[in-house]
Amino acid sequence: MVRVKSPQDFWAGLLFLAIGLLAVYFGRNYTFGTATKMGPGYLPTVLAWMMAGMGAFLVLRALIESGPPIERSLWRPQIFIIAAIVIFGFLIERFGLAPSVIVVTVIASLASTEMRWIETLILAAGLAVLCVVLFVTLLGQPLTIYSWGF
Amino acid sequence: MDILQNLATGLAASASPINLLFCLFGCLIGTLIGVLPGIGPIATIAMLLPVTFGLSPLGALIMLAGIYYGAQYGGSTTAVLVNLPGESSSVVTCIEGYKMAQKGRAGAALSVAAIGSFFAGCVGTILIAAFAPILAKFAEQFRSPEYFSLMLFGLIAAVVLAHGSVMKAVAMILLGLLIGIVGTDTQSGVARFTFGIPELYDGVDFVPVAMGLFGFAEILSNLDRRIDGEKTTARIGSLWPTRAEIRRAIPSSLRGTFVGSFLGILPGGGAVLSSFAAYTLEKNISKYRNEFGHGAIEGVAGPESANNAGAQTSFIPLLTLGIPSTPVMALMMGAMTIQGIAPGSAIITEKPELFWGMITSMWFGNLMLVIINLPLIGVWVSLLKVPYRILFPCILVFCCVGAYSINNSSFLIFMMAGFAVLGYVFNKLGCEGAPFLLGFVLGPLMEENLRRSMVLSFGDPMIFVVRPISLAILILSLLLVLLIVLPQFRATREEAFQE
Repeated sequence: MVRVKSPQDFWAGLLFLAIGLLAVYFGRNYTFGTATKMGPGYLPTVLAWMMAGMGAFLVLRALIESGPPIERSLWRPQIFIIAAIVIFGFLIERFGLAPSVIVVTVIASLASTEMRWIETLILAAGLAVLCVVLFVTLLGQPLTIYSWGF
Repeated sequence: MDILQNLATGLAASASPINLLFCLFGCLIGTLIGVLPGIGPIATIAMLLPVTFGLSPLGALIMLAGIYYGAQYGGSTTAVLVNLPGESSSVVTCIEGYKMAQKGRAGAALSVAAIGSFFAGCVGTILIAAFAPILAKFAEQFRSPEYFSLMLFGLIAAVVLAHGSVMKAVAMILLGLLIGIVGTDTQSGVARFTFGIPELYDGVDFVPVAMGLFGFAEILSNLDRRIDGEKTTARIGSLWPTRAEIRRAIPSSLRGTFVGSFLGILPGGGAVLSSFAAYTLEKNISKYRNEFGHGAIEGVAGPESANNAGAQTSFIPLLTLGIPSTPVMALMMGAMTIQGIAPGSAIITEKPELFWGMITSMWFGNLMLVIINLPLIGVWVSLLKVPYRILFPCILVFCCVGAYSINNSSFLIFMMAGFAVLGYVFNKLGCEGAPFLLGFVLGPLMEENLRRSMVLSFGDPMIFVVRPISLAILILSLLLVLLIVLPQFRATREEAFQE
């Protein structure tokens, strides 16, 4: 029975192996060329194989040598933070800077279990004003301050 | 008298009111993030890169540099008073500094740290002024093979000096190189790994990568650990060290400055390694060895001088060879590229006011930092009360708006989210982001130089060995590799990072 003795190395190795093989696959059509005239595919293919090799090595070593376990995740912070970034990406194009900043501040704050509503709303409003002043007024970035998405 | 004339050119540029203001801004932000645990210079500089679009090149670089060395000052405050490293380069300062604070000597520890840093900063500045032009002159002989070997050396050094697993660091570099290659191939015009997404034709943008991997991965890890608990701040007490303390601190500061200046130049070195090395050195050679662990002032003076010296001298490889040696320098390189400046030996001759202006600004900055940090220490301590639950939404919003304003495209925001997830996963799996970032920045440069070298030599890889400078660099790289393989060194490396 094979047991994973070093979970960190094992999963890291699998990840590198997978990315490496994917890169080899997607890069298969780029001309490899010769040593004198290297094509666009030369270095990517070599690097991808090297990375896949590293990954395979890590996976095998993880079965023999033991290492630290993977620390548990809390999930709540990750979900809210990543959601906040993605939602910002959708909102900013339709509703402009100020509304996006307010909404995203609130969503991001939910990532912390110690979030307090009044504090967060004040923070959101303050950040919206600050971003408008800093990016639009001071730095002159061509950002829409607000629009209603129509 | 060349150097004096050069410094005069620099002073004329950096002492203009607007540039002094940028310097002050940089130092203030640097101190702020240095004091606050949970946000470091890498994330901050990445966050401010989009802001620097609108600034003059010199102003932008002065400000960003100020953030980096400013953070070295601020980090010691938190280390001494709260026993938390404000910055990764002040981890060792906690050991002796906090013990001193418990004995009521916090003020003295802070003064020694700040004045030691100031001294080290001045020495670092002089070293850059003295050696950078010589090195740049030397680098003018470099052609593609030399540059390729040099970059290889840099990446190997980054692995040797990185924490944790060597194999994983190598894999991270390879991944960085691969992602750096994404985009249109400059020689054949083939779009590589772009999956038909037009935003990727120019390559993966630097800012969202740095923000995602460092800024957001940092936030996610911090929230996982719940860093908000009670922070009890030690009383500062008198800022004046006693005569005995001064007598003990001076030699340590000198040694720290020396160690830091040297390690800062090495690829992968920089501030963090310098402070660790200086602490180990002090612990082994100090006359007061038995006091270590109980508040020995040497253990504050040495590392704090070293991290500042290292922060300054790590600019040398970037400014003379165009090769970033640490993640922060990779970001500085990004800032230069944004401003349309190609980092490398040509900066000194072609843009003397930029080069010398930046160096002289470091001296102004260090002076400002002593004032910002000593008399105004109370202000910074009160900032420690800002809870993380308020801090991280601010970081998040600034990163989002900043990334979007690069070219008003949501694509960069989504890419940033992707790299945030990737950075978090890598953190969990014990893979460091630093080697990835170096690989990412060096990827396109390495490929270009490799291809050019091979064209020069008609496909004969011996070109890297036949050319003397290239050979010397490769031998150095080989020695570094041997260092990892030799069991003796491996043990000390692990021990060094254990502390």
